[in-house]
Amino acid sequence: MNTRRVLPLAVLTALLASAGCELPPVDSENIGPRGLSMGTVENPSVTRPDSIAYVEAYPADPDPIPGDLPAAPAGTFENVQVLGNLSVAEFNRSMVAMTNWVSPEQGCNYCHVVQEDGSVIMAADDVYTKVVSRRMIQMTKYINEEWSSHVGEEGVNCYTCHVGQPQPEYVWTLDPHEPNLRYYLDREDVRVQSQAALTGDAEVETSIQNARNTYWFMIHTSNALGVNCTYCHASARFSDWEESPPARVTALRGYRMVRDINQQFVAPLGSILPDSVQGPEGDGPKVQCMTCHQGVNIPAYGLARATLYPALTLPEAVHPAATEEAAADIDMDALNELFMEAHQGMAAHPEAGTAGETHLPDVAGGSR
Amino acid sequence: MAEYQNLFTQIQVRHAPDPGVPIGPDERDRLLKPGGFSYLLGRIGDAQIGPLYLGWLGIASLICGFAAIEVIGFNFLAQVNWDPVEFIRQLPWLGLEPPGPEYGLSIPPLAEGGWWLVAGFLLTMSIILWWFRMYFRAKKLKMGTHVAWAFASAIFLYLVLGFIRPVVMGSWSQAVPFGIFPHLDWTAAFSIRYGNLFYNPFHMLSIVFLYGSALLFAMHAGTILATAKMGGEREIDQITDRGTAAERSMLFWRWTMGFNATMESIHRWAWWFAVLTTLTGGIGILLTGTAVDNWYRWGIKHGIVPEYVQPYDDPSPAVEPGELDGPMRGDADDSFSPLPDDGYVPGPISRGLELDDGRVLTFGLAGGAPALGGDQ
Repeated sequence: MNTRRVLPLAVLTALLASAGCELPPVDSENIGPRGLSMGTVENPSVTRPDSIAYVEAYPADPDPIPGDLPAAPAGTFENVQVLGNLSVAEFNRSMVAMTNWVSPEQGCNYCHVVQEDGSVIMAADDVYTKVVSRRMIQMTKYINEEWSSHVGEEGVNCYTCHVGQPQPEYVWTLDPHEPNLRYYLDREDVRVQSQAALTGDAEVETSIQNARNTYWFMIHTSNALGVNCTYCHASARFSDWEESPPARVTALRGYRMVRDINQQFVAPLGSILPDSVQGPEGDGPKVQCMTCHQGVNIPAYGLARATLYPALTLPEAVHPAATEEAAADIDMDALNELFMEAHQGMAAHPEAGTAGETHLPDVAGGSR
Repeated sequence: MAEYQNLFTQIQVRHAPDPGVPIGPDERDRLLKPGGFSYLLGRIGDAQIGPLYLGWLGIASLICGFAAIEVIGFNFLAQVNWDPVEFIRQLPWLGLEPPGPEYGLSIPPLAEGGWWLVAGFLLTMSIILWWFRMYFRAKKLKMGTHVAWAFASAIFLYLVLGFIRPVVMGSWSQAVPFGIFPHLDWTAAFSIRYGNLFYNPFHMLSIVFLYGSALLFAMHAGTILATAKMGGEREIDQITDRGTAAERSMLFWRWTMGFNATMESIHRWAWWFAVLTTLTGGIGILLTGTAVDNWYRWGIKHGIVPEYVQPYDDPSPAVEPGELDGPMRGDADDSFSPLPDDGYVPGPISRGLELDDGRVLTFGLAGGAPALGGDQ
């Protein structure tokens, strides 16, 4: 063949291959006024397999407990500080579900440690995973109660972030080279545009370095949600609320939620985590948009919900401390057996973790 | 002398190297001898290499430029712990940043922007020395100095970005970092900080001249190539002694758009478009932050921004009064604010379970089962 024709073709092919192009067709929807390029872009050949794989991996929710059972009487459990207002059946159902969500391979013993004599003391708090779990349950309750403006009425559960892993994949620790990460915790200077035309009327000066931090932070969010800038912003006027798409308000609440739970729940836990998961600055992992969203704008495709679990929606109630006498009545061996059965049941029926087609969300309908 | 070339001629004529027009005897000493011919260069231009003029301006410029690149390169290397593989892998992301806002126009420590000042000074010296070299070489050949002044327009934009505007703003932190992606991030951040640079009329003009330059380049080069077989590329001949190439190309443009530039004026068009690209761009940058703080707001004030209020299908969520407000700037210091004390105190925690025989049962977080460690 003539090199004059082959060369441009080869260059064109190399350019296309190296530019990270996705094969068409791409679905694009205009969400704003014409001419502003307010388009959401989605490639079904990329997102559809991802969402189907996710749906198939989602563990089936255990059947709801029929009837309206009373809360377990005082003394039923020992050292149950957060979930004491559940019935015994609901308590066990929640434990099984959480094991499925967080430590399906490690099982109950990830938090309830096998003692030297082979027994399991469910009440023991002597391993950090147990303490972290309790705090995370408190956090999830808090999110579902206080931040429904961001997570919606359906709420979230452990699987939203954990996806079957003891540690969520997308966490962050302090990094001097990425000061923008601090917006997820305590930085305040994200707003860098003044609302005055002329410098003489501008409120306070801010630096281009801050603007760049804001820019990187926004790109973080864009990646986390799998959306482009125009999902939340009018392309020509980032700071203008009047002309921003409604999703921007949801996103703002999301930022505030992340900062809130990082400060109240996640960051303080860093001190009890093993060194291996702590960052180079000695702080523990913290959450960001990506922790829950993982590349889709509706986390877990709306599958991981709190509404099916009173453990995650009921206001926290500290159960009256069990007296020694009452604690002596508890047949811990029987309880242990119950947990082991539940755990073995999960291991024996791995297909129980696959959801049927009834759970398939309407992916094309915007739940990327 | 067989110097005639045609764009369609594939034959490269070889002859004794051409030393060029006569110049003064002392200047002649600074000329390197013609270095022979290159077949590959002959495919795209004149095959002859040299003679190269190396006056003290050229030597000083090369030394400064080399030093600037060394400073930038060694800073990059230091950032990847002097690992050459990482240097190449991360090269597009590595950057040499100007001093932070806290330093204003003072001289910071080398590691906190001092090296940026050093590199910037050396690069600026190199560029300005090179400008003088171009100016004086053109004078020596009794040419006009158009190339030097066009270069000066580009230097103006460079100086506005890296020196004049930062000095006016009172902070080196306003300047552009060195680095491939860092300088691109800077342009994005600069536009965001000042409310969208596209509403800056001088930015608009700069874009007009930039795209216009490309358009003129394509129109002119296309015209000349299209008439090459009639001698169209001998433009100077065609200006004074208009031949059929000039007649046809001019008629072509009159036929297609009713007007034509001349063989002479098209080069003024091109020169001015190129020069005005960086000149107007520099003015636009110079006004940003010094006079105008938000170009979008400025556009509203002057009626050049259309309104699109509530154009979205979804209803806007109900917003609490004041919910969308936030600190414009906040306390930007990089310290941890104290975490709120909600009374939660974790109990005594072990990071594993110590067994009687001294082994420690630890727990992997990465998905593994509890593992045995310690003295086994």
